Amino acid sequence: MKKNLWSLQAGDRGRITGFDEVLAEKYRIRLMELGFHPGEVVSCLQAPSFGTPKVYRVANTIFSIDDEVGIHIDVDLVVCRD
Amino acid sequence: MTKIILIGSPNSGKSLLFNKLTGLHQKVANFPGITVDVATGTVPQLPGVTLIDFPGTYSLQPISGEERLATSYFNAALTDPDVNLVLCLIDITRLEKSLYFTLQVIRECNRHGKQVLVLANMMDVLARHKIEVDLSGLARQIKAPVIPISARTGLGLDALVKRIEHNRTNPKDRSHAEFVDISDEVLRKHAHRLSSAYGPRGDLLIKTQTKLDRFFLHSILGGFAFFAIMYLLFQSIFTWAAPAMDAVESLLSILSDLVVPAIGNQTVRDFTADAIFSGIGAFLVFVPQIFVLTFVIGLLEDSGYMARAALICHKPLRLFGLTGKSFIPMLSGVACAIPGIYAARSIESPRKRLLTYMAIPLMPCSARLPVYTLLIAAFIPQTTALAGLVGVQGLAMFGMYFFGMLCGLLITGLVFHTNKNKFSDLPFVLEMPPYRVPAWGPLVRNSWNRSKHFVTKAGPIIFTVSVVIWVLGYFPNYGTDLGDSWLGQFGQFIEPLFAPLGIDWRYGVAILSSFLAREVFVGTLGTLFGIEGAEDNMVPLVEQIQSSGLSLGSGMALLVFFAIALMCVSTLAILTRERGSSKLAITMLAAYSIFAYLAAVLTYRLTLLIAG
Repeated sequence: MKKNLWSLQAGDRGRITGFDEVLAEKYRIRLMELGFHPGEVVSCLQAPSFGTPKVYRVANTIFSIDDEVGIHIDVDLVVCRD
Repeated sequence: MTKIILIGSPNSGKSLLFNKLTGLHQKVANFPGITVDVATGTVPQLPGVTLIDFPGTYSLQPISGEERLATSYFNAALTDPDVNLVLCLIDITRLEKSLYFTLQVIRECNRHGKQVLVLANMMDVLARHKIEVDLSGLARQIKAPVIPISARTGLGLDALVKRIEHNRTNPKDRSHAEFVDISDEVLRKHAHRLSSAYGPRGDLLIKTQTKLDRFFLHSILGGFAFFAIMYLLFQSIFTWAAPAMDAVESLLSILSDLVVPAIGNQTVRDFTADAIFSGIGAFLVFVPQIFVLTFVIGLLEDSGYMARAALICHKPLRLFGLTGKSFIPMLSGVACAIPGIYAARSIESPRKRLLTYMAIPLMPCSARLPVYTLLIAAFIPQTTALAGLVGVQGLAMFGMYFFGMLCGLLITGLVFHTNKNKFSDLPFVLEMPPYRVPAWGPLVRNSWNRSKHFVTKAGPIIFTVSVVIWVLGYFPNYGTDLGDSWLGQFGQFIEPLFAPLGIDWRYGVAILSSFLAREVFVGTLGTLFGIEGAEDNMVPLVEQIQSSGLSLGSGMALLVFFAIALMCVSTLAILTRERGSSKLAITMLAAYSIFAYLAAVLTYRLTLLIAG
């Protein structure tokens, strides 16, 4: 199922399929430098309420990302917590 | 002189390794972006070698200020004939975030004929979890030697020193010429492939982190924990520092009783009692609070909680045009605005960085602490509330800190919403460092250095101002009538300016002198009351303020004035340096002074209205 990274809830896992065009190229590159490559599986570890940035794990590193970035990263849902 | 460059990704342990190798005490902490400047030191085991520690960067394509600094210094180092070796540090537990940058460094070193050693840091963490990685295989793939080390435990550092010496004395042992023609994109893919193949496997490394994050980042419990930690931070300034403050005060009193009566000459005796013991002494009493404040902030940084606090604050800060990354410079600004302004380099967005600069001088810095403590102790009773759980003075201090932060947010919010479309914006991505037991030694050392810096930086200014104030207040009538002294005449001339705050000329003079540095206020008042008091014995400044006729309204007005006004020459100088122009510093000085004055007048009037 096509989603964006921000829509993942705690416990969900998604495979990155790409980035949308709105995200500037230097940020796309920076995200890939940090490990957010297309094909990589990302786990959502924490999804606090009130729009607080969510916490994601990629490989062995944990990052927090806010909605302004997360909505531009396309993912396929791999594992849903439910 | 041989130079060795130390470079790596943020929070990979560069500064800790630098400290271990040089024996210096560069500040270290457990969140990305703590090193924002270049540090140099010599290595005792390697005579003639200078080690240079660069700020961390995720790649050689910089985004933030400190990354730009690191890459520009790195590029300059590549063409420097004195640079003999580049040490590229990687966090082996999180290989994927370090490897692309490492490959870029290897490529650039090969292009410029520089030797490079890759240091696989945090091997102790892998050993603790019984995880093995194939470093030889990794070294073969990246065509560079990989040396296992632990900057924290010292593991492998002797071997590293020997290897550096070997490379230095064998210049023919050059790096390979691989990667020189390979593009960034290909390197990125290569790094991704290698980190999957050679990075540590398993969840062990982040299990604890996830468990703790479930609590500290919980929608409700996390918020409570955040406020509880912040409250404890401010309460600790009073409760933990109190015994040491009392001890310093008693020691100064004993010294004064011993020294002052033994001086024969009346003028020298008065000078020693008023300018030295009352002026400088009044300021020294607050040094333990600076120590406690720096210690607790260091504890939060080193434990890994600071990044969580930044995350919790991100959404509320965004309303005011800031980012969660602004929280770390702002909280650093609670200790001192200067490291806070430096720390703001790690904020990628120019607009958010500018707004953070505007907020930092309003953070209740340690120079405000003596002023707050003095005025709170003079006007707020030393009692407890909520069945003895909460100290009322500590609560008042928390209120002052909250007020300063609120002013900072309101000002940045106002600027943000009136200039919303003027600048481009950048998104929020923050690495969450693992939780760690703090390294107590460096923590205590850093707090001690900070306190020492506070004394050595402010001490000469306070001493000079105390001497000038004493001379102007003592002559021409030899301390018999302060009101008729040169200072008294000047003070009465400027008194109308401060009359709307309900304060007399002595407080007016103290305010004007503290535009050099806020803490001068305490020293100036100490000297003035010292001249006025007939006795040689030290009387606590709090008691002198209480008996000076200062009303509650004026006390509140002074607190508000000091919470807002930008009274620090060093902060203005650093702001000018960081911005490359004095425009922002001068604008902020004028705007915050006017705002502080108007808010203080309003506070005085409102307190009169309410309290009568």
